[in-house]
Amino acid sequence: MEYVPIYLIFIPIITSMIIYLSDNRYVNYMTFLCQLVLYILALKYYMVNDGLIEEKIILLGGWDKSIGIALKNDALSMSFIFLSIFIWLMVLTYCWDKRKNNSKFLFFLMFLQGTFLGLLQTNDLFNLFVFIEIVTIISTILIVYKKDGYSIKSGLYYLLFNSVGMIFYLIGLILIYNLSGTLNMDAISRTIPSLRDTNAIKLGYIFIIGAIGVKSAFFPIYNWLPKAHSAAPSSISVLLSSLLVKSGIYAFIRLNNMFKMESFYEFFFFLGFFTSISGIIFALSQKDIKQILAFSTISQIGLILMGLSSMDGNAYIGGIMHIFNHAMFKALLFMGAGTIINTYGIRRITEIRGVFKRLPYTSIFMIVGILSITGVPFLNGFISKEVIKYGLEGFYLKNMMLYIINLGTSIYFIKFSQIFFGQADREKSRNLNNNLSMFLLASICIVLGSYSIPLTEGFFGIELLNIRVMTTYNLISYLIMIGIAYLIFKQVVEKDYNILKKIRHTHISFEATNFLLVMFIFIMMLWSNK
Amino acid sequence: MNPILSFIVVLIGVYGLATSKNIIKSIICINITQTAVVLIFLNLGSFNFGDIPIITDEVIPMVDPLPQALMITTIIIGTTITALALMLSIKTFHYYGTLDWKEMMGRE
Repeated sequence: MEYVPIYLIFIPIITSMIIYLSDNRYVNYMTFLCQLVLYILALKYYMVNDGLIEEKIILLGGWDKSIGIALKNDALSMSFIFLSIFIWLMVLTYCWDKRKNNSKFLFFLMFLQGTFLGLLQTNDLFNLFVFIEIVTIISTILIVYKKDGYSIKSGLYYLLFNSVGMIFYLIGLILIYNLSGTLNMDAISRTIPSLRDTNAIKLGYIFIIGAIGVKSAFFPIYNWLPKAHSAAPSSISVLLSSLLVKSGIYAFIRLNNMFKMESFYEFFFFLGFFTSISGIIFALSQKDIKQILAFSTISQIGLILMGLSSMDGNAYIGGIMHIFNHAMFKALLFMGAGTIINTYGIRRITEIRGVFKRLPYTSIFMIVGILSITGVPFLNGFISKEVIKYGLEGFYLKNMMLYIINLGTSIYFIKFSQIFFGQADREKSRNLNNNLSMFLLASICIVLGSYSIPLTEGFFGIELLNIRVMTTYNLISYLIMIGIAYLIFKQVVEKDYNILKKIRHTHISFEATNFLLVMFIFIMMLWSNK
Repeated sequence: MNPILSFIVVLIGVYGLATSKNIIKSIICINITQTAVVLIFLNLGSFNFGDIPIITDEVIPMVDPLPQALMITTIIIGTTITALALMLSIKTFHYYGTLDWKEMMGRE
C-alpha cells in the first residue's frame, strides 16, 4: 500500500505499452481493466490513510528530502486523482465505438493518463516542469490526430506557445533554486517566509505564474485554447477542457499554497474577471459549436480563478468545487457537441436545427449540462457559484461582477440552445456508448448538486450547512436572470452587428501572443512594485 | 562566462519570439532561448569553478551536480519539442504552402 502513488503513475504507462506492442483488439479492453485497478488502488490508499487529512510523502530511491524525488498526496491531489480516473473512463466509453481497434490512439491516451497522474502527485518544482512538458507533447499528438490542415496548425500553435511559456517557468525555477537551494516544494515553502520580500523571489514567482498562466489560459494569453479545443477530435476536446486545462490551475493552487504572496491575490481576482468577460464576449460572437464551448471554458476558468484568488475561506472552497463541477458539465457538453457534429457533419450553430427530434437522449443530457452551467438551483454549477458568492459576501462590486458573468454565460447558452429547436429531417440515430457516458455524467451533475453538503464535508472537511441553497428566492432570481438574458440575446446578439463580426474574425498571430505573454509578466512586475 | 551575458541571449531570443513571423524562425528562437536558460543555470551551479562532482577521499571544491542533472532533462525535452514542431511545420507547409504564421492562420 505504501507505493500506491508510484503504481498510479506506472500502471497506465505499462498498459499503454502492452496495448501498443500487442496491437490486438481484445487486448485493447485492458484500458477498462486499468481504470478499474487504478480506482481500487486509489480508493484503498485513501481509506488506509484515513482520508489523507495529513499529507503523505514518499521519497524515491532513499535519497535525502532536499535532493531526491518526492511524491506527495493530500486531500486535494487525491480528489483530483479520482476526478481524472472518472473522466478518463468516461472518455474511453465515449470514443470506444470509434477507436476500439486503434491501438495507437489508445497508447497515447493511456500514456497521457500516467503522466497526468504524475503531475498531480509530484512534490518537486522540476518534476512539475517535466510532467507539464510531457503532457503538452502527448496532447499535441492527440490534437493533430485527425491530420487535417486545421488541426495540424492548431497543434503547432499549441505546442510552440506552451513551450515558450515553459521557458519562463525555467527562468523562475533558476531564481528560486538559487535563493533557496532546493527544488522540493515543502522545503521551499519553509524557506519562503524569510525571503518573501526580496525582489528576486518575487521575480521568480512572477515568471512561474506567467508560465502557469499560459497553461491554464489566463486573460491575454489564452489564444491557444480555442484553436486546440476546436481542432481536436471530440473525445480529446473533452479531455482538454475538463482536465488538461485544470493541470495549470492545479499547479497554480500548489504554487500559491507554497509562496503565499498575499499582495497578488487582488490582482488574480481582477485577472479572473477579465478572463471571464473576454471569454464571454468571444463566445457571443462565435458561430462554431465547439468554439463557443471552448470560449465558455475560458470564461469558467476566469470564474474559478476569481474563487481561488483569495486562497482561503469559502470563496476558495467554491473555486475548487467549481473545478470539479466544470469538469463534469463541460465534458458532457463537449461529448454532446461531438455527437452532433458526427451526426450532422456541420459545425455552424446557425445551420444545425432540430437536434431534439433527431437525437432525443443526447439533447436531454446536454440540456442538463446547460442548466447546470447557467446555474439553475438543484444542479452542481449553482452550488459552487453560490459558495463563491457567499465567500465574497459584503463586497458589493465583486458580487456584481459574479452576476455579470453569470448573465453572460446565460446569454451565450441561450444562443447555443437554438440548435435544439426546429424540425428534423431524418430519423433517430443511435449511439449507445456516447449516450451511456453522457448519462453517467448528467447523473453525476444531479448527484453532486443534491448531495453537495455531505460530499464537501467528506472530502475537504468543511461544513456548508450555513449556505442555504434551495430556496424559492434562488429559483425566482434565476428565472429573472434568464429573462434578461433572453431579452439581450434577442435585441443584441441575434442581430449580429458588425462589431460581433469583427470580433469573430480577429486572429491574434503567434508573435503577438508572445508579446502579450511578455506584457503579462511585465504588468505583474509593475503590480508587485506598487 | 557571466550569467548576465547568457541573460542577454535570453532577451535576444524573447525579442525574436515576439517579432518573427515565420514558423521556422519561431522554432529557432525557442531553441536559442532555451539554450541560454540552460547556460545560466549551469553558470550559477558552478559557482567556484570546482572539479567534477565525484566524492573522493580528499576534499576538493566541486560544482553543484543538481543543475547539470536537471539541464540534461531540459535539453532532451527541448529536442523532442523541436523535432515534433519541425515535423508539424513540414505538414503545414504541405497543406497551406506557406510558413508564415499570419498567412497560415488566416486561411480556413
